[in-house]
Amino acid sequence: MKTSPGKIHFRRNTQNIPARIPGAVQSATKRFLALRDAAVNEYGAEHWQELRQIGHDLRLHTLEHLDTYLEVLEKNVESAGGQVQWARTAEEARNIVREIAQRRNVRRVVKAKSMATEEIGLNKDLQSAGISVLETDLGEFIVQLAGDSPSHITGPALHLRKEDIAELFHARLGVVAPPDAEQLSRIAAARLRHEFLVADMGISGGNFLVADTGTLVLVTNEGNGRMCATLPPVYVAVVGIEKIIPDWQSLAVMLTLLPRNATGQKMTAYISLIGGVNAASTEDGATEFHLVLLDNGRSEILRHRILRETLLCIRCGACLNICPVYNNVGGHVYGWVYSGPIGAILTPQLLGLRKAGELPFASTLCGACNDICPVKIPITEILLCLRQRALESATGAIGSQQTMLRLGAQATALALASSRLYGWGAQALRVIQLPFLRNGWLPRLPPPLNRWTNSRPLPAFRTDFRKWWRHRNHGSSKTWRTRARSIVNKADQAASALRAWYRRRT
Amino acid sequence: MTHRSLAAGSGASFPGAGARDEILFKVRGALSRRNDQLSPPPAWSVPSCPPECPQPGMERLLREIDNLGGITRQVKTRSELRSALVELAIAQGIQRATLWETRELAELRIGETLQGLGIRLVSPHADKSQLAECDLGVTGVDCALPETGTLLLCSSAVRPLSVSLLPRVHLAILGASVLRRDLAQALAEVRGRRAVCITGPSRTADIEMTLAVGVHGPRVLAVWALGTDFTPG
Repeated sequence: MKTSPGKIHFRRNTQNIPARIPGAVQSATKRFLALRDAAVNEYGAEHWQELRQIGHDLRLHTLEHLDTYLEVLEKNVESAGGQVQWARTAEEARNIVREIAQRRNVRRVVKAKSMATEEIGLNKDLQSAGISVLETDLGEFIVQLAGDSPSHITGPALHLRKEDIAELFHARLGVVAPPDAEQLSRIAAARLRHEFLVADMGISGGNFLVADTGTLVLVTNEGNGRMCATLPPVYVAVVGIEKIIPDWQSLAVMLTLLPRNATGQKMTAYISLIGGVNAASTEDGATEFHLVLLDNGRSEILRHRILRETLLCIRCGACLNICPVYNNVGGHVYGWVYSGPIGAILTPQLLGLRKAGELPFASTLCGACNDICPVKIPITEILLCLRQRALESATGAIGSQQTMLRLGAQATALALASSRLYGWGAQALRVIQLPFLRNGWLPRLPPPLNRWTNSRPLPAFRTDFRKWWRHRNHGSSKTWRTRARSIVNKADQAASALRAWYRRRT
Repeated sequence: MTHRSLAAGSGASFPGAGARDEILFKVRGALSRRNDQLSPPPAWSVPSCPPECPQPGMERLLREIDNLGGITRQVKTRSELRSALVELAIAQGIQRATLWETRELAELRIGETLQGLGIRLVSPHADKSQLAECDLGVTGVDCALPETGTLLLCSSAVRPLSVSLLPRVHLAILGASVLRRDLAQALAEVRGRRAVCITGPSRTADIEMTLAVGVHGPRVLAVWALGTDFTPG
């Protein structure tokens, strides 16, 4: 629910991670990944790769013609009886939704899980206007009850244990519940059932917008998305402008990729295809449908050929599951609504590098996220591009680091270019290290080198490289000769044994 | 572009224009496309289920739904349908029910059978709070995907989608004619209509990735397949 955070201090945030977080996160992501692998294997790994490429091409094609598809979508949503509103910024989007609510005298809102509404900080805004907002996705409901924020795109409460949730339900709902997932789910569902029926307005995000027919697609498992879109008289969906796909054939591709890659399901329990409204009162469903198309920095991201691919994302959350960094730090340290590798590339582009310049560095560049992404976003390439920009912009800590890095690199280049300087340097290091040397290790070094020794000791400088290399060559050739001799001896012994056995037999 | 122009809400100003025009203007500016013609989306040939999988049939559909925690059965005759309804009503403690007002369900005399069992029928157009009190909602199915165990239901005046959402038990009755090869084929048929794809009963794994079946949607999904030689009496 953070609307516009201040500067995100990723490194500092990682110092204060509760001890239980990595364990809780890893046990959940391990399960996500196992289910996903099974689903992909059942589909056929080779076909899956083909499908990923198709998904990538379809999404990229849409982005490259986004203006046209937006106009087609607008026309088709309106001709089906919906209303399209455009929001340049988070503030405009909040104002649009609040004004709709006030015009319809809305007191109670039920909400389905939506990253876009988290991004614009909608709940807080509506609540400050005196409107009650209730999250209805179980994970979001738990997180809202705890006054917390989601820590994973598809599993918002993944950082909490069932014991924490049972305690939370006891404290906030006054029910004594055992730490049992099924019973806790039932309690939450029973609480929310009445709310769905009395709500004046339903709000959701959207997984896809099909331009061809003006259809909003909601992918859910619990049924709360259907409830929010069907039961209240007014329904508002806040969706980023990049969520468009051309047609229903493209939708088939996306719906094959998304559930399998996100939760390992061949299909989620519900996929709602929402087109227009119940204008003639002959069908059930909301009588007023507003689609709020959110820009909030996305049109700027489109500008760059590589960065643009950030917007291919279909929010499956698989890059979080596979990321070694996310698995050790959880979602909250990324400082905003988007976490993991996608957060590391999207947040800096939405909030600006001045605020989120540390995030592109929150990665080992191992590339596992590239390989698991269902639409083949080149995440590491984008990370590198953003790192370069962060360094070029040279602000604050990154700026001073950049100067030091440059000086360090120049000094190293100078030393390595001359064999004499290199030799002297290697000898000098053996002497300089003496005050810090403990049992052949350098456990603590003065700043700025302590950035390394804070997390692990450095082995002592023993000798220079050329000496080590000479010694190594000599040693290894000796070993090779010894090994060859021993193999010949063994072969000779085996041959004698064989000859003896053959003689005995005959 | 520096970090300044990456920040939200910055970039070229567009004084006097509405949000719509400004967003479209910025998108066009960002893409700087030479050609304004919309080329068709890239053609793709891989269907949304693995290409070599054989045309799956009713058995596969029911097996997939069973695996997801649904209750399935094959119904061959009218009397079998009646006894299945009796069994379901007793097992699930059905007292109130609602159903689609379609010709197919009328021919199967589902409503009469339920009423005969002393079950109160509620109109599918009744207020949402009345539908929420129903124990059973009976619907037909427009398309079914055996490979994923998915049922596709389209909305219309006589087929409100709430019937498959609010009652705690959802019974879907279908024949072999609704089976489709894959999602692409099914979506091509319903193109643009309000619809829902249902794959198993409602579920969540939001608490420690432990599966809990039956959250906001129906707790029980019963799917009955009518045999090919089923003749509604």
